[in-house]
Amino acid sequence: MAKRHRLLVGGEERTVVLDSAPGGGAETLVTIDEAEPIAIDVDAAELPGFVSFRIGSVTRRAYVARDGASFDVTVGSRRFRIQQVTGSGRGRGVVGGAEDAPGEITSPLAGVVVEVRVAPGDVLEAGATALVLEAMKMQNEVLIPLDGTVTAVHVNARDSVEQGQLLIEYDPAETEE
Amino acid sequence: MPKRVLLANRGEIALRVQRSCRELGIETVAVYSEADRDALHVRNADAAVLIGPGPATQSYLVIDKIIEAARQTGADAVHPGYGFLSENPAFAEACDAAGITFIGPPASAMQAMGDKVQARRLMESAGVPVVPGAEDIDPQNVEHARAEAERIGFPLLVKAASGGGGRGIRIVESIDELEDAMRVSGTEAAAAFGDATIFLEKYVSPARHVEVQVMADAHGNVRAFGERECSIQRRRQKLIEEAPSVAVDEELRARLCDVAVTAARSCGYRNAGTVEFLLGEDGEFYFLEMNARLQVEHPVTEFVYGVDLVALQLAVADGEPLPDDAGLPQPHGWAIEARINAENAYANFAPSFGLVRRVEPPLGPGVRFDSMLYDGLDVPIFYDSLLGKLIVWAEDRPAAIERLRRALQDLLVAGIDTNAPFHLALLDHPDYVSGAVDTGWLEREFEMPPPPEGDPSELTALIAAALASSMGSARGSGANGAAGAPGRGWALAGRSDALGARVRHAEGRGWRSGIGSS
Repeated sequence: MAKRHRLLVGGEERTVVLDSAPGGGAETLVTIDEAEPIAIDVDAAELPGFVSFRIGSVTRRAYVARDGASFDVTVGSRRFRIQQVTGSGRGRGVVGGAEDAPGEITSPLAGVVVEVRVAPGDVLEAGATALVLEAMKMQNEVLIPLDGTVTAVHVNARDSVEQGQLLIEYDPAETEE
Repeated sequence: MPKRVLLANRGEIALRVQRSCRELGIETVAVYSEADRDALHVRNADAAVLIGPGPATQSYLVIDKIIEAARQTGADAVHPGYGFLSENPAFAEACDAAGITFIGPPASAMQAMGDKVQARRLMESAGVPVVPGAEDIDPQNVEHARAEAERIGFPLLVKAASGGGGRGIRIVESIDELEDAMRVSGTEAAAAFGDATIFLEKYVSPARHVEVQVMADAHGNVRAFGERECSIQRRRQKLIEEAPSVAVDEELRARLCDVAVTAARSCGYRNAGTVEFLLGEDGEFYFLEMNARLQVEHPVTEFVYGVDLVALQLAVADGEPLPDDAGLPQPHGWAIEARINAENAYANFAPSFGLVRRVEPPLGPGVRFDSMLYDGLDVPIFYDSLLGKLIVWAEDRPAAIERLRRALQDLLVAGIDTNAPFHLALLDHPDYVSGAVDTGWLEREFEMPPPPEGDPSELTALIAAALASSMGSARGSGANGAAGAPGRGWALAGRSDALGARVRHAEGRGWRSGIGSS
């Protein structure tokens, strides 16, 4: 029986239909979007994660790690994040890390605060450095995303922070359209 | 030879030293932090001692804990690896005081070379050419620094006296940038090395980074093992190292080795060390610094000179003389090392942490893979991003390039990003292939090409995901974290992408894809 997969890769929704080959052979018919179906010969690998198949005589292999509706697929030196689309709406992006809401800056990574460059009351322009975080021995500047006035600073130098932890709050300035 | 060697390090270098020890019948002791509980260097050791929490300042950098671990396990020697305590004279002294052999140079030589300011002065007096610069820079006295900077000329570098591994270095293009650079460099150096002393040095450009491997015994013999070319650097971090260098002929090699031996003698050096030079386009070279330790890139020298530098280190530390020096040995064939880092080459090299699902190491003729990777490794955030080193040897440079390409294609790391796509793109660049590079080349000329349009791997990935999805629903979710089962790695997988958009590297040429740039 044909099985239809709606997959989001690189921001584009693709449809992959898997069907058994006519005549009940070992091959699987794959139809990607509106293209002509191609017959592939899938290896029945018992080792979870490994997927290998042949298109004609051309060999293909991948390693797939799955988390619910997300797939992390490694092919050679490339890595693809693929999201299964369910229901009528489009799927969310595969990876998290949604932008902060205006007025908040959360930590983009787990690390240690090296330096805090702002204090409540500071009026800052977008792109100014709010603080410096160190992770994996590299110092990284966390930037103010919008013009605004700092209202609260929740961390100090040498604090360890988790990814997503609230660091700074600010009042975004009125924008002129 | 020592009987039991404690490795005061982690990751691939701890494993590499363990391997030589094992071949020599020496037992090994690992130390590890809580973050490295499951690390390969722990599993591979004969004994292992937990020395503290993840941050290096509470574990791998705590001298007392390491000495205590050596006492507790009866280790009679300590190998420091690179980084961490490897160039810390207090550590060498603490080993001496505890009656444990320190496999490295004496504290005095380390002190002389570890302070880059002192080293410059020492080299000048030994007749070794140094880069023009200013050594008496006081961060408080900005006026004086500005005057010295104007005298040296721009661009120039602000460097940390205690710096190493590219840390604490800032390039200054004009006088306006000087003060900021001094502050950032000083802060980074103070945090990393506990010493905010900085100095200024002319930015010799274009120049190649060429370094000479030396080995000195306790009997006054110093031997040089030719040069390594390490000009492919990003943010002052070496990414590709080769031996020999395309820019060095036999005559220049003889001069470089001669000066390197002089440099080593001038500070009473012992054991393995590296003398770094800047090589200008005119063939003139300047002393940059001496690294008083085994280098990350030592395997390329091992390949072309047919030596085991760690075995030599162990022998020399035990008082054995170096083998007879039958003239300057010449390199045989060509070796290239590619550092495999946990970085996303397609997202401005943002670090990539998390769970490694699957590793397939490259194998075959002329390939060596020194690595901490294994299936199930959770790459910790506390340490640098080096996962391993892929080193190849072949008869000549073109063959070595092809071999490296093949080996990079063979390498599979699933679950986290690596910079392998960068290395593959680099090997395609005509300037790299011809060897027409300098230390600024990568950042000036090289742009990471986007993933190829219509890459057949995308089609493969789509089909693989659809197949895995079908299998997963048929079999239910497996228990092993691969296709079918969610794992903790997923919580972490989003980090690198989130980073790319929101953070930039402090030096300003890092991750500026998002908010920081217009």
